[in-house]
Amino acid sequence: MDTAEIDLVTPVEKAIGLLSSMGLDFFDVYAAYSRSPSIDILGKGIKEARSRTDLGIGVRAYKERGLGVAFSQSLELTDVETTLHRAVDFAKMAQPDPYFKGIPGPSKAQEIADLCDGEIKALTLEEAGGLAKRMIEAVESVRPGAMYSGGVGASYSRGYLTTSTGVCVEAEKTAISAFIAPTYRKGEDVGSSHEYDYAISLAEMDFGKIGKMAAEKALEQFGSKRVESGMLPIILTPDSTNTLIVGLMGAISGESAVKGRTFASGCLGKQVAPQILEIDDDGTIPGAIASGAYDGEGVPRRLARVVSKGTVQTFLHNSYSAGIVNVETTGHAVRRGYGGYVGAGPTNLRVKPGNSSLDEMIAETKRGILATNAGFFPNMVSGEFSTTIDEGFLIDRGEKRHPVKNLMAGGHMLELYRNIDLISKEGRTIGKGHFYPSIKIREIKLAGK
Amino acid sequence: MRDLLEAVVQRGSEAGASFCEARFFEERSSSISIENGVARTLGSGILRGVGVRVIVGGRWGFASTNLLARQSVETALEDAIGGAKSIAAQRGEDAEIVDAKPEVDTIHHKVKIDPEDISSEEKVKSMLEIEKAARTFSDRVKDTFVSYREVLTKVVVCNSFGTSIEETTPRTYAYCSVISKRGDNMQTGFEFVGNVAGYEIVDGIQPEQFSRKAAEKAVKLLDAQPPPRGTYTIVVDPRVGGLFVHEAFGHNSEGDLVFGGQSIISDKMGEKVASDLVTIVDDPTEPKNGRFVYDHEGTKARQHPIVDKGTLVGFLHSLESAAKIGGEPLGSARAQSHHHPPVVRMSNTYFGPGDMTFEEVLEDVDLGVYLSGSQYGYVETQKGQFTCKVEQGWLIEKGELTDHLRDVAINGLTLDALKNVTAMGNDLRIDMPGMCGKSGQGMYVDAGAPHMRIEGITIGGRR
Repeated sequence: MDTAEIDLVTPVEKAIGLLSSMGLDFFDVYAAYSRSPSIDILGKGIKEARSRTDLGIGVRAYKERGLGVAFSQSLELTDVETTLHRAVDFAKMAQPDPYFKGIPGPSKAQEIADLCDGEIKALTLEEAGGLAKRMIEAVESVRPGAMYSGGVGASYSRGYLTTSTGVCVEAEKTAISAFIAPTYRKGEDVGSSHEYDYAISLAEMDFGKIGKMAAEKALEQFGSKRVESGMLPIILTPDSTNTLIVGLMGAISGESAVKGRTFASGCLGKQVAPQILEIDDDGTIPGAIASGAYDGEGVPRRLARVVSKGTVQTFLHNSYSAGIVNVETTGHAVRRGYGGYVGAGPTNLRVKPGNSSLDEMIAETKRGILATNAGFFPNMVSGEFSTTIDEGFLIDRGEKRHPVKNLMAGGHMLELYRNIDLISKEGRTIGKGHFYPSIKIREIKLAGK
Repeated sequence: MRDLLEAVVQRGSEAGASFCEARFFEERSSSISIENGVARTLGSGILRGVGVRVIVGGRWGFASTNLLARQSVETALEDAIGGAKSIAAQRGEDAEIVDAKPEVDTIHHKVKIDPEDISSEEKVKSMLEIEKAARTFSDRVKDTFVSYREVLTKVVVCNSFGTSIEETTPRTYAYCSVISKRGDNMQTGFEFVGNVAGYEIVDGIQPEQFSRKAAEKAVKLLDAQPPPRGTYTIVVDPRVGGLFVHEAFGHNSEGDLVFGGQSIISDKMGEKVASDLVTIVDDPTEPKNGRFVYDHEGTKARQHPIVDKGTLVGFLHSLESAAKIGGEPLGSARAQSHHHPPVVRMSNTYFGPGDMTFEEVLEDVDLGVYLSGSQYGYVETQKGQFTCKVEQGWLIEKGELTDHLRDVAINGLTLDALKNVTAMGNDLRIDMPGMCGKSGQGMYVDAGAPHMRIEGITIGGRR
């Protein structure tokens, strides 16, 4: 069966009809299907061509503020019926959640353009294989002889959400991603790195550039050395900045943030960084990877000025977390597929460019670390982190020297934010939505030899 | 279902596939979430579908669908064949597999108490009691979370060797985490249990050793210090040792990463890769969370010796990796669901025991760090660099545990670290039931170790 013919509306409407007569306080039903061709790269090149057809339906049922959730990977009406009965039975058994105040009603959102790309929708495995080949050939043009891991994956998805409060939203979307990690060897020495990109439309992707950058980054990793422990400035390039920003966004999103369970729970309205730091979250950018007219509860997405002049202006809410603190949802509900659970989180994150440049940051650093790939994922409760600089370089007398290995950085996330020194004017745009510049942190504690 | 799968395999072979495999997957799960004394959410789900894999023209093709009608599964076969043909002309990794002995069998793992026989009300009541023990431990306890999950996984594998296997595996899990608070200082503690088992897992929980223990950890961590930074001798408990063996060496021994040029030990078979004290085994026959009888290619699972007294003696194999690097497949290929092709995975991985007591492992350490409880880890296999995040630690001074430490992570280079193992305890415990992520797939695994000592490990921290 051509998956484009799959009917999501009938099973959802059937479920809604049945749920309406079951004495529930609230409920929603979400059905989705997707088609995902992908190419797996391993060893000498392309290893496998894959095609996935996925569909399912999820039900959230509320009875006296207790929540029952159920899902099934079948849209057959008998399976849908079984699924909703499970959700309802569970809702009756669950205990009242004192924080739950209801689910959102309908609101009209502006349409967001360019979220579904015809080229991706029609992409064949043969074409996907050609894109993977282009990436590998670009690596080989820099230096042949690498061994690989990676892949190219595309997806077309369609979802349909209906709620007891009158929300009825249907959306379709495409996405494509590419990742390649070449590894070169010279005796015991290893030069290995990776490059990636993802987008809504094929036209946004440059597979040759991804391969070329991956090869160049891998070759730069030869001759890595350990460096001494100490306190040094660290410069995060955009891929490391990404994790710094996402770490804070996670801590100011949803119920954990408002229930006082994250290191940033007390940061609303407080200055956490120098005034040069500005972070926007915007799920309404046309053609951007994390855009959509509506969030996971059917609430219109909107621009949120999250950090302005270094001060946290808002948390990112779904209706549940917003209800706890008596504010309106910010349209940041996240529904990951048809599993039934709804959380909260950021969409397209954009850090405002600064006045410096990466070259200037390096040039003015007497001794420090350039972190090209490091994940600043904190303990979300305490805010403390201890992480490996997976890829980075020693900076000595204003110049990038050798790659580092076996080097760790530790500290507290809010300490990192307080110590932001410079932000670059150039940066990396990902998926036409996210923008991350390079950021220089005044000092960080490093553990080495 | 077997009839349908066998028919698809037959049709794939007739269409020119030199190998064809059809795999049905079904996973039924139920869960309960308790938060601060409230059974806030109950949930359930069913994953179900078929994955078809072929070799056509020397290349792999794979397709999967949730639609179980014969026509849909045959469409998946056509997609898999079409996929393999579509990459035939592209530069790549040829598909080869060893000839496998056909296996025909049906396995149902038995449990003492079938979770289906226990009502949801009873399960909620038990979880609330477990949660209460944590909540009432101290007024420093800010939040408590207890979750319960039961999973019943059924896998049917048919392939063109004539294999036809059905295996049904129940697993049961309970998890407790606690947030403690004093002023601005907040810490967490957690405990978990899980195995290929039924509701007896829950019946066996003693709150003092489970939820109260999680609460006690969270509260005591309020007084713990950040760890010192630098290179230290470390002593690890069985959970940290399990995380270490899984991340640092286990992934490097996976055959697909070996032939794919992604492992630092690909050319070291028969060579010394660790100290004489080190023996590493992956054993799917152990009655732990990574237990199975047949892997998802239908190969009967046996114990896999990887390192014997410091010498590399084996890799973990799929049918493909065994053909490409030589070796016998002992059942290491598993897939998360019908949407994923089988890849080489660990099962229950552990360091074999030595002959020292915990006190003897500690006693020669003048200044070091003792690490306890695993959180998460990752490895860059191609470089051999690993990172492990642990729950808590203690400073070791002259063989004694002194300052309590929090937020500890370690980093090292696998081969250096394994050569620097200088003491191995006699108290092996496999007690790290969880999921391992690889190639976008999660998989049930377990890991363990005795207490052991390693020199020259980097500790990251704020001090």
